[in-house]
This record gives sequence, C-alpha cells and structure tokens, in this order.
Amino acid sequence: MSAIIVDNISKKFRIPHEKKTTVFQNIVGLIKRQFDYEEFWALKDVSFEVKKGEAFGIIGRNGSGKSTLLKILARVLYPDSGSVSLNGKVASFLELGVGFQPELTAKENVYIYSSILGLSRKQVDRIYDDIFDFAELKKFETMKLKNFSSGMYLRLAFSTAVHAVPDTFLIDEVFAVGDEAFQKKCSDKMSQFKAEGKTIVFVSHALNAVKELCQRSILLNEGRIVTMGDTEKVINDYLALLEGGTTQ
Amino acid sequence: MWQYRELIRNLTVADLKNRYQNTSLGFFWSLLSPLLLALVLYFIFRHLFGSEQNFAINLMVGIMAWRFFATGTSASLGAIVGKPSLVTRVYIPRQILTLSNALANLISSLLEFIVLLPIIFVLLGHLPVTVLLFPLIHIIYFWFIFGAGLLLSSLYVYFRDLNQIWDVLVTLLFFCSPIVYPLSIIPAYLMSYYRLNPVTLFIGMYRDVMVAGDLPSLYSVLVVIGFAIAAYLMGSLVFSKLQRRFAEEM
Repeated sequence: MSAIIVDNISKKFRIPHEKKTTVFQNIVGLIKRQFDYEEFWALKDVSFEVKKGEAFGIIGRNGSGKSTLLKILARVLYPDSGSVSLNGKVASFLELGVGFQPELTAKENVYIYSSILGLSRKQVDRIYDDIFDFAELKKFETMKLKNFSSGMYLRLAFSTAVHAVPDTFLIDEVFAVGDEAFQKKCSDKMSQFKAEGKTIVFVSHALNAVKELCQRSILLNEGRIVTMGDTEKVINDYLALLEGGTTQ
Repeated sequence: MWQYRELIRNLTVADLKNRYQNTSLGFFWSLLSPLLLALVLYFIFRHLFGSEQNFAINLMVGIMAWRFFATGTSASLGAIVGKPSLVTRVYIPRQILTLSNALANLISSLLEFIVLLPIIFVLLGHLPVTVLLFPLIHIIYFWFIFGAGLLLSSLYVYFRDLNQIWDVLVTLLFFCSPIVYPLSIIPAYLMSYYRLNPVTLFIGMYRDVMVAGDLPSLYSVLVVIGFAIAAYLMGSLVFSKLQRRFAEEM
C-alpha cells in the first residue's frame, strides 16, 4: 500500500522580465508583443513512491527543488506535468501557525488553526487538553497570542498540528522549535508516529535527523533525482556532491 | 468542502467582524450609506417619478438589491488576495475563501433587508404575504453573486487593477438598472437588450414580492435560475483553472 505516488512530475516557473500584474500592462504587452519570460524548471521528471508507514527523506542543496516538491505534495503548488496521488489525510508543516491571530486568545487560536487543518469543533474538543498539555501552556490558555513569546507561539502551533492526527506528515525543517527539552519531545513524537505506522516525508539539512528518522531518501539536484534508496548512501552522495560543488 | 465547515464558519464570522469593525453598532453605521443614498435620490427624483406608485419603497428595495450584488462582487475581489497565508502556506480547498466571503455578504444583506421590512410596513400600511417568497429569490441571487465572485476573485490574483475596472462597471450597472427610474421610461426598441441585465430581473422580483404583493412570473424565475447556474458554472470552471497558479502569483 502506497501513501504517496509521485509519477514523473515536472514543475516550471515563469520568470517574466517585467512582471505584468494589471489588465493595462497585459494589453500594452499584447500590443507590443512582449511575451518574454524565462522558464525555470524547478523539478524535472521526478518519480518516487512512499509506502504507508514509511519515513522518507528529501535532501539536496539550496535551490535543488526540495521545497517545490514538498509544496506540490502539500497541494499548494500544482505540477505542470505528471501526477501525484495521495492516500489518506495529509498534514503539511510548511509553516506553523497559519491563520494565527495575535488579537485572539490561545484557546480561540487553537480552534481556528484546527479548522484550517480540517477539524470540526467536536474533534478539537476531544484533543483540546492534549494540545495544551503537550505544549505545556495550560496556564496560558486565555492569554492573547500577541503576549506569547515566539517559543510559546511555535510550541502551541506545533502541538495543535501534531494532534490533528493526519495519516501523512510533510515536514519542512520545523524541528527547531522551542528549547532542547521541547525539541526532544518533538522528535519523540515523530518516532511515536513512525511506530504507529504514520507516513512521514521529511525535508531537512540536518543530516543526522534524516539518518535517524528515515530509512529511504532521495537526493535532489537541479530539479532531478540523483540518488534514491538507502538514506546512508544518499547522504554519502550528497556529501560528495557538496565536495564537488566547493572544489569547482 | 463539508469537512471544512468549521473553517467556513470561522472565516465568515471573521469577515463580518472585520466589516463592522468589531462593534455592535457597526452594522448600523453600514446602513447609513444606503439609507442616505435612498434619501438623496428620493428628494432629487421625486419630482420626476414621484407620481409612480410606491416610489420611495421601490427605490429602497432597488438600492438594497443592487447593493447585494455591488458589495458582494466588489468584496469578492479581495477574497483570495487578502488571505495569502491560507493560499501559499497550507492546503485548503480555495473556493472556501470565496464562499465565506460571499456568505458574510449574504448575512449583511439579509440584515439590511430585515431592516427594510418595518419601513415597508409603515409606508405601505401592510406587508404583502408574498414576502415569504423573499428567501427563494435571495438564494438564487446569492448563487449568481457567488458565481461572479468565483470568477472575479480568481481573476484578481492575476489582474490587480480589476478592482478599478469593476468599480466603474458596478456604477454603470446602477444606472442601467431600474432603481431610480421606472421601467416605463425605457424605449420599447431597447427593452429586449435592457432586460438582459439579470439585476433588473432580480429587482423586479423583489418589488413583486415585497411591495406589490404579486407572484413573480415563472418566466423570470426560470431566467434568473438560468443566470445563477451559468454564473456558478463559469465561475467554478475559471476558478479551478486559475487556482493552480495562485501560490506562484501571490
């Protein structure tokens, strides 16, 4: 059973020489016959499969297409060709605390954030205590979010997101949340999810974290898959790629 | 969509609060502008059309009906662009943003029409029984406006001067609809074109059921349902095509 099947996707970005954002500019462009933009292929012919219950790593240099790939998996971007099929409920951690409003209390924000993640009010009621216990913010539930420290803010967001019980997690380096103790809690939570048979797709520069969590990985370079397979081997190839890049 | 009902509710409430600046008096402030418009137009045009039956009430009903469309479509322009983090940072069915915007507009419009009822009662001496058909007309009108909203909100992501263009069109629509003047001043040879304006049909139906106490003709009901379905289908089609590049364009 596959959680994610990525079939031969490509993604092209258009970089216009002059960005046209109005009807007027477009009409002027039509008359002057200016259609010039450069095409940039962020991803080219990428295919892979993630099995249910697997933790899967994506590594690569800056600008290699990792984030674009993750955004496509999160259905924020759409590929220009190829297809992606996702089984089960997917939670993407591209950014924590989307929709948080500083003027509202922590409690209200938990309900709003959960609704963005697709939960009903009743479902939130059930996990509400767990969210605040995990975030260690029980005392602050009626405080306005604008008075939260950035660490508290992220803890609340992270805790809400992980308690929304998706089948698949897409994670883009959000582990740097809170202090050491909380980071440990987060990685424990991830291990727990793995043990429960949840699927995890993990994008990171923290090679040790990838090695610890993921059995299989892919290495992206300039939008293409260079290596796919055992994480150890992929990381070695990545390090070799970095070496090559610096000696050039 | 059903899974996201809680989000739709939250966004609609937030939108309403924003419209009324978080004050309970906010709604009454928002009533000032249409009532003032009605008052001014009444004093200017009563010498011309004052002899028309129920001129004052018809004027108010016309303004409220036009406003439902005008504020609904104008507000819909910002439905997507105004919520960048919900477009670029997380997956939700993006029609939700336009839908909750339209729902907030529906609620304010309902409130405005409710305020109109006692005014009609006082000026007319009674309230026609046919007013019970009001919800039916309002729902059809809502789908028409929602369809237009889907079209506009998705186009606005790509064309940021659309709001200026739309402002002009909405003002033009005000004068192309029988709000301040009666239908009878339109020359016969223009009538068939004039009636292509769906807002004209809606205004006529509101006046039928709220003021005259007539049943709207089956023909106009079918035509406006046709308009609503066409607007919704076209809006959905364009929206689902354009939404694929939303995250890149914002």
